[in-house]
Amino acid sequence: MMLSYILLSGVTTGALYALVALGIVIVNKATGVINFAQGELFMFSGFLAWALHVQFGIGYPLTLVLAIAGGFLLGVMTDRIAFQPLKNVDVVSLVLATVGIAFILRGVARVIWGGKGDYLTFPPITSPEPIMIGEIMIIPQQLAVLAGAVLIMALFWLFFRYTRAGKMMQATADNAKAATLVGIRTDRIYALAFGTGTAVAAAAAVLAAPLTLLYPDMGFSFFIKGFAAAVLGGLTSLPGAILGGLLVGIAEALAGGYIASSLMEVSGFVVIMLVLVIMPSGLLGARRLRRV
Amino acid sequence: MALFGRRNVLLVLLAVALVLPAVANSYQLYIGNLVLIYTLLAIGMNLLLGFAGQLAFANAAMFGIGAYGTGLLQVHFGLPFAIAFPAGALIAAAVGLAISFPALRLSGLYLALSTLAFAQFTQWIFLHWEGVTFGAGGFKTPQISFDPLPVSKPVGLYYLSLLVAVALYIFARNLVASRVGRAFVAVRDGEVAAQSLGVDLLRTKALAFGISGFYAGVAGGLYSQALNYVSPEGYDLFQIVLHKAMIVVGGMGSVAGSLLGAGIIIIVLELLRAVKGAQEIVFGGILLVFVLFLRGGLISVIQRYVKGWDEPLHAAPPRRDEPPPLAVPATPVAERAAP
Amino acid sequence: MTAPALRVEGVSVGFGGVRVLEGVDLDVKPGEIRGLIGPNGAGKTTLLNVICGIHRPDAGRVLLDGVPITGKKPSSIAQLGLGRTFQTSQLFRGMTVLENLMAGLYRRTTTNVLAAGLNLRSHREEEERTEEAARKALEFVGMAQFADRPGTALSFGQQRVVEIARTLISEPRVVLLDEPAVGLSLNRLAEFDALLRRIRDEKGVALILIEHVIRLVMDVCDRVTVLSSGRRIAEGVPDEVRNDRQVIEAYLGKELRARHS
Repeated sequence: MMLSYILLSGVTTGALYALVALGIVIVNKATGVINFAQGELFMFSGFLAWALHVQFGIGYPLTLVLAIAGGFLLGVMTDRIAFQPLKNVDVVSLVLATVGIAFILRGVARVIWGGKGDYLTFPPITSPEPIMIGEIMIIPQQLAVLAGAVLIMALFWLFFRYTRAGKMMQATADNAKAATLVGIRTDRIYALAFGTGTAVAAAAAVLAAPLTLLYPDMGFSFFIKGFAAAVLGGLTSLPGAILGGLLVGIAEALAGGYIASSLMEVSGFVVIMLVLVIMPSGLLGARRLRRV
Repeated sequence: MALFGRRNVLLVLLAVALVLPAVANSYQLYIGNLVLIYTLLAIGMNLLLGFAGQLAFANAAMFGIGAYGTGLLQVHFGLPFAIAFPAGALIAAAVGLAISFPALRLSGLYLALSTLAFAQFTQWIFLHWEGVTFGAGGFKTPQISFDPLPVSKPVGLYYLSLLVAVALYIFARNLVASRVGRAFVAVRDGEVAAQSLGVDLLRTKALAFGISGFYAGVAGGLYSQALNYVSPEGYDLFQIVLHKAMIVVGGMGSVAGSLLGAGIIIIVLELLRAVKGAQEIVFGGILLVFVLFLRGGLISVIQRYVKGWDEPLHAAPPRRDEPPPLAVPATPVAERAAP
Repeated sequence: MTAPALRVEGVSVGFGGVRVLEGVDLDVKPGEIRGLIGPNGAGKTTLLNVICGIHRPDAGRVLLDGVPITGKKPSSIAQLGLGRTFQTSQLFRGMTVLENLMAGLYRRTTTNVLAAGLNLRSHREEEERTEEAARKALEFVGMAQFADRPGTALSFGQQRVVEIARTLISEPRVVLLDEPAVGLSLNRLAEFDALLRRIRDEKGVALILIEHVIRLVMDVCDRVTVLSSGRRIAEGVPDEVRNDRQVIEAYLGKELRARHS
């Protein structure tokens, strides 16, 4: 296998991990918790997009927009059901509640869209045939995914940089108490964070679907790798999440290409363990993880 | 002494369990065995999460390691079950202890995620270390016999499970009513205060991990024989929601609650056996509903309305049922976010 | 002269370039009640955290009964005989008042996992002794009637007293009390005053009292140490300190100015 090909596919999957990681970081920044249903929300949004695109024949761009909107709603629901009632209780209850939501989503997806081991194919956006540019083999589908991921990252960057809602989220993340004092309604910010975080995941799912196919168990492995990417980037840094995602993607592509393809499945675990044990603040994180 | 107190109820349950093989068909006996095995899992999970307050997801992994350890020691080394079974449990305890060392430098969410990733990693080992674990297909466990006892294998295994479950139930009850149990709860309820009394956080947490791993490993060894078969699927992520649901339904920080939760969850699981999706929806839903509306679990309802169910270390429900009083607010999760 | 129960030698601490403590010395004799006062930000809490091992000083060391404890874990320092209470109530939610007291005896008990799980006789006997000691300690502070209540069901002031009893039960050499009188009413304050004296007289333990309620400090303390901006600016019997010009300027003066502005 050619290095260039491996690197390109690593960057492509890495961009998807980066989006999942962005979702995790957005929620964590604003609320201080990790949404354990993030992977399943990603998976579920992918199936929603499949239903819209394949069953109802809606065009790909509109599907993407609708899936992002659907993801946003699912995220807000997660906030209302699990986070709002439990945010003053304790972390254990909160995590267990999001785990509960994760399994409900899995079960619903499995009941509606197929049993274990059933994969739904998502029609490719562009021709699946590889093209050669000189020595480099390129699969247009991958380029499309990469372009889409970059576009979405840019959109979210603009959102945080220039919109009122984005700025308020930043303020809340920096200091929730002070934000309350200046009149920001933090409850809305939390809902917004869950919504936005899931919307990014939904976008990632629509981009990923044509490459990875869809199956109800896909959420977990994306969640673990997204978390690995987020931790690598320091868990509160948006650029860190993107960098982390790319690194995880490239590392697993290299390990898969040169050592054994089964290694790709555990890249997330290896990265998490290495980062947490060796370098708990991540690459770009300013804040150290709380230590005993 | 209260007529429907815990002691009387447990004795009646024990009597029922003892005569079960005489009256039950083989399927019912198998379900009885499963309840016993999952009670062990629930107690192990409860000691770690309910008492010591460590939010870890590695229980399913320890369950699998116990099952694989017990099975593979028999298959590869020809060890008898009588040796392979305790050895498998001890391996699970050792792994539990070993993962606790890197994991315990972390707290809360990071502990949860790193142990979740570890659970995925053990799945991967079961699947891909084919020379040893036989990969995705799994392997049949060697037949064991209870000669010279005059019992068939399922009945013998059931009684073995019953013996182990009763013994480890009592062990856990004693443990929580001791300085060790108090140290667990102290670490759960206030790490700084626990330290100020001389409780070593790392050692106490590692101990909870090791004990919890041992219980899960014992359950795994028994499970491998109950199924006559070991494969990666039996120990996958679905186990995570099962184990958590058991202790949340029964009652966090309650040994009796572990038994209650295991019984209920196994029966519901059997009712839904055919449909995997429905199992996920129901157990996810149960977990969510109990966490939201009945954080003390069913045991807290029993304790409120029936005499004789009081337990040590169960003064207030382990978690707040009411919003914190305004005067002394606990640090809300959201505020901890601020760097 | 008696050897100090607690000795702090030239402790300095800085956080990110800001000096919080600068060469602080402190000697506390066995059976002494020492007041530690100073305006907000003087470094009292930091000093307390250095003594009990939560912060590590940049320079200097701390000795407990002549044994250096700097750099040890908080739990090891507690094992050596240093007790403390906290600004906010730190009773364990899941425990009754009695169980909280029993948890206080952790460092004086030895039962291991196996002995406890198997309910060996050594464990049962130790458990009985533990419970007896806990009941006695509750009586000492006048809280015996609350033994089986959840600790968190008590009033704030009662919780503080239980916490002190939980610390004292293991007979530490030195106890750090971090603002124990916060939220106590005036009549309660008098009771509390009496309790502290009884503890000193009957237990022979050295108490270090960090407190904002100046009246309590001046009434009950044998000696008072004043910190300001990370330095020790005065030390002596309450009357000396009360009349010390520097103290009035740095501490009382500031308060007065703040009150009048």
